[in-house]
Amino acid sequence: MKKRGGKILFLLLIALLLTPGQLIAKGQREKRVLNVSISGNPDTLDPQKTSGTLTFQVDKSIFDTLVEPDQNGKIVPALAKSWSVSPDSLTWTFKLRRGVIFHNGDKLTSTDVKATFERILDKKTASPKAKEFAAIEKILTPDDYTVIFKLKQKSAPFLASLASGWGAILPKRLIENGHDFASKPVGTGPYSLEEWVRDSKIVLKKNPNYWMKGHPIIQTVVINIIPERSVVIQGMLAGQLDIAFRINREDIPTLEKDSNIKIEKNLSALILVMAINCSRPPLNDLRVRQAINYAIDKQKVLDIAYGGGKVIGTFMDYSNPYYKDFTNLYPYNPEKARELLKEAGVTKDRVFQLVLPQNYAPHVKAGEMYQEMLSKVGMNVKIKLVDWPTWISEVYRQSKFDLTVIGHTGKLDPDGTLGGYGGGRYVKWKNKECLDLINKARVTMGFKARKALYDRALEIMAKDVPFMYLGTPYVYNALKRDVIGFRVTPKLDTLDFRWTKFVGQAQ
Amino acid sequence: MDKICGTGAIERVSMRHKRTIRNRLFYAAIIYLAILGAAAVAAPLISPYNPTDQHLNDRLKPPSGHYLLGTDDFGRDILSRLIFGSRSALLVGIVSVSIAGAIGVTVGLIAALSGGIIDNILMLLMDSILSFPTVLLAITVVSFLGYGLLQVMLAIGVIFSPVFARLVRAETLAIKTEGFVEASRALGSSTLKIVFLHIIPNLIGKVIVQGSITFAISISIEASLSFLGLGTQPPTPSWGLMLKDARNYLVQAPWMALYPGIALALTVLSFNIIGDTLSEKINPRLQQ
Repeated sequence: MKKRGGKILFLLLIALLLTPGQLIAKGQREKRVLNVSISGNPDTLDPQKTSGTLTFQVDKSIFDTLVEPDQNGKIVPALAKSWSVSPDSLTWTFKLRRGVIFHNGDKLTSTDVKATFERILDKKTASPKAKEFAAIEKILTPDDYTVIFKLKQKSAPFLASLASGWGAILPKRLIENGHDFASKPVGTGPYSLEEWVRDSKIVLKKNPNYWMKGHPIIQTVVINIIPERSVVIQGMLAGQLDIAFRINREDIPTLEKDSNIKIEKNLSALILVMAINCSRPPLNDLRVRQAINYAIDKQKVLDIAYGGGKVIGTFMDYSNPYYKDFTNLYPYNPEKARELLKEAGVTKDRVFQLVLPQNYAPHVKAGEMYQEMLSKVGMNVKIKLVDWPTWISEVYRQSKFDLTVIGHTGKLDPDGTLGGYGGGRYVKWKNKECLDLINKARVTMGFKARKALYDRALEIMAKDVPFMYLGTPYVYNALKRDVIGFRVTPKLDTLDFRWTKFVGQAQ
Repeated sequence: MDKICGTGAIERVSMRHKRTIRNRLFYAAIIYLAILGAAAVAAPLISPYNPTDQHLNDRLKPPSGHYLLGTDDFGRDILSRLIFGSRSALLVGIVSVSIAGAIGVTVGLIAALSGGIIDNILMLLMDSILSFPTVLLAITVVSFLGYGLLQVMLAIGVIFSPVFARLVRAETLAIKTEGFVEASRALGSSTLKIVFLHIIPNLIGKVIVQGSITFAISISIEASLSFLGLGTQPPTPSWGLMLKDARNYLVQAPWMALYPGIALALTVLSFNIIGDTLSEKINPRLQQ
C-alpha cells in the first residue's frame, strides 16, 4: 500500500512537471520578462536633479522629451509632432501630440511643458542642467497643444538640450504637489516604474497607453544593478540575463563560446585623449606636444587598452556629423618625436607626471602603454594613480597635472563637446581664434554654416594639439540570441526598449 | 614494562622523524630565500628582458623557449617581472619589519621600564591599533598618505608595531625581575646599561622570530594592496600587481596568475617555516 502510494505520488509529480511546461510554452513569450544589467545604482530618478548617466539610462524608459535623437543622432519628433523656428531664431514653436497620457492618468498639455521647464530653471530645483536652458526668456501656451519658447539670444544647441534626458517632460499637477520624482518618477514614457530595490533592481512595467502605436512590446523589463563584471558574465552564461549592457572585450571570448549569446558592437560617442597641460613648460612648446602625438601608436593602444575603435585626429568623436579627419597630421613616427624633443631641449631630467584615474581600468592600461611609448622616444614619464574624486578636483578643476588619460563623452550638440576650449579649460590651452569660432558657432543656425566654423576650430585644435587624440572606441553589449531590437540612443548612451522583443513575439 | 618502553621508543622515533622533516623544510626555506635574495640583488644581470618593455606583438604568449614563463597582456616577459618583483617584495618585508621592530621595541621597553600611567597610555595606544582589521587599516592609512610602495611600507610598519611592543613589554617585565638584573642594579648599573647589557640581548631571539613571521605577513599585505591598486605603482613590477593584471585573463592566459602566485605563496611559506622553527629552537620547552 505504502509502496503504491509512493508510485502514484511519483507519477503525479512527473505529470505536474510536464503539464505546466506545455501550458507555459504558449503564453511564455508574451509574458517573458526581459532581464538587463547595468553597472550601478542611479543616485536619483528625477531627470532634473542629476547629471549622472545611470539615471538617464533608466529614465529613457520612464519619460519622454519633446524631440529625441533617432538611431543616426538626427533629432526627430517625440512628444512634439512638429516644430518651427522664427527667422530671427528667437522663437521656437512646438505642436504637441494629442492623446498622450502620463502614468498617473493626467493628459499631456502645453501647461505641463511650461511647468517642466519652469521647474528646471527654478533655483530651488538646483538642477545641474539648468544652464542648458538658460537661454529661455519665457514660455507661452496659446492653446493646449502649442508651446512657444522665447529665447534671450540665439542658441543653436537648444534643440539638442530638449532632446537630451534632462529635457524630460513631467506632469504639472505633480510638480505643484511637490511630488517625489527622485524615487517615484511619473512620466509619459513607454514603461512605468513598478519597483526600485536600491542597489538591486529596477522593475519597469509596460505603459499600455503609450503614444507610439504597437510599442513597447515586452511587458516587463527588469534592470538588474550589477557592478561586478564577473557576476554579469556568470548571469549571462547561466541564462539569468537577456542583455548585458557594456561588457569588456576581455569577456567576449568567454561569452562567444555560448551559442545562445550574441555580441553587438557599436562605435561609442567617446573622445579618448591623453590631455596635455599646456601651461606647464616644456609642454607649452608646440614641438613637445607634437612629439607626444608622433610617439604614440594610436591603433595599437585603441586595440589593446580599449577593445578596438577608430583613430581620430581632433577633438570630435568619429561618428559625429561634425567630425573631420585630421589623422594624417601626426602619424606614428617615433624618430620624428625624438628629433622634436631634442630640438625643444627636453631631457630625462624633466619628469613628466602622468596622472591616471585608478577606477577606469582601460585608462590605466592605456596610460601604461603611453608611458612606455613616450619613454622610448626619450621622455621621463612617471605614473601617478589617483581615485576618481581626486582626479575631478585636482586634475579637472585645478589642472594639477602634466599629462592625464581620459575619455570625453560625446554630446548631441558639438557646443557641448567644444564649448570653452581655447579659453583655458582644464588643459590650459589658450587660443583666441579657436575660442571665438566656437562661441560664434553657438549662435549660428543651420548645419552647413556651423560646420564651416567647427571645421576651422577643429583644424586649429588638431594642429596645435593640446591633446594627444587617440580615438573613439567600440562598445560591446551581450544579448541572448533571441532578443532583437534593443537600441542604445546615440551620444546619450541610454537604453531604449521600445522596439525590443523576443524572436517570434507578436507585436 | 617492555610494552611501555616500546611505545616510548616509537614515540621518540616519530618525534625525531618529525624533527628531521622540520629541519629539512627549514633548510629548504632558507635555500629558497637565499636564491630569491640573490635574484633580487642580481635582477638586472639575470633577467632575460627589461621587465617594463612591452612587446606588443607578443601579447599573452604561453611559456616557450623565447619567453620562459610566457608574457602578459602588454607582451612583457613574466620571468623578468617575477625576478624584479622579488625586489619590491623583499624591500617591503625588510623596511616594514624594521619600522615595526624599531617602534615596537622602543615603545615596549619604555612601557615596561616606566610602568604606571605611561605604560597604560602607551599600551592602550598600541592595543587600539591592534583592534582594527589589518588590511582595512592599511587601506585607510594608504588612502591618507597617497598610493605607492613607500606609503605601503610605512603603513604596514606602523600597523605591526603593537605586536612587537606587546612582546617586548611582556619579556622585559619578566627579565626585569630576574636575579642577574637585580644584581646588576644592586651593583649600581644605570637603567640604560641594564637595558643594553641585559634586557636587549635576551629579547633578540624572540624579536627575530616575530620579525620573520611579520615579514611574511607584510609581503602578503603589500600584494593585497597592490592587487587593489593602492600599492606598487605601475609599471614597476610587483607580484600583487601581476596578479591584478592576471585577473582579466584567467582563462586565456593562466600563466599570468600562476607564477606570481607560486612565488608569493612560497615566499610567505618560507618565512613562516623559518619563524616557526626558530621559535621552537629558542623556546626550550617546545624542544624535547
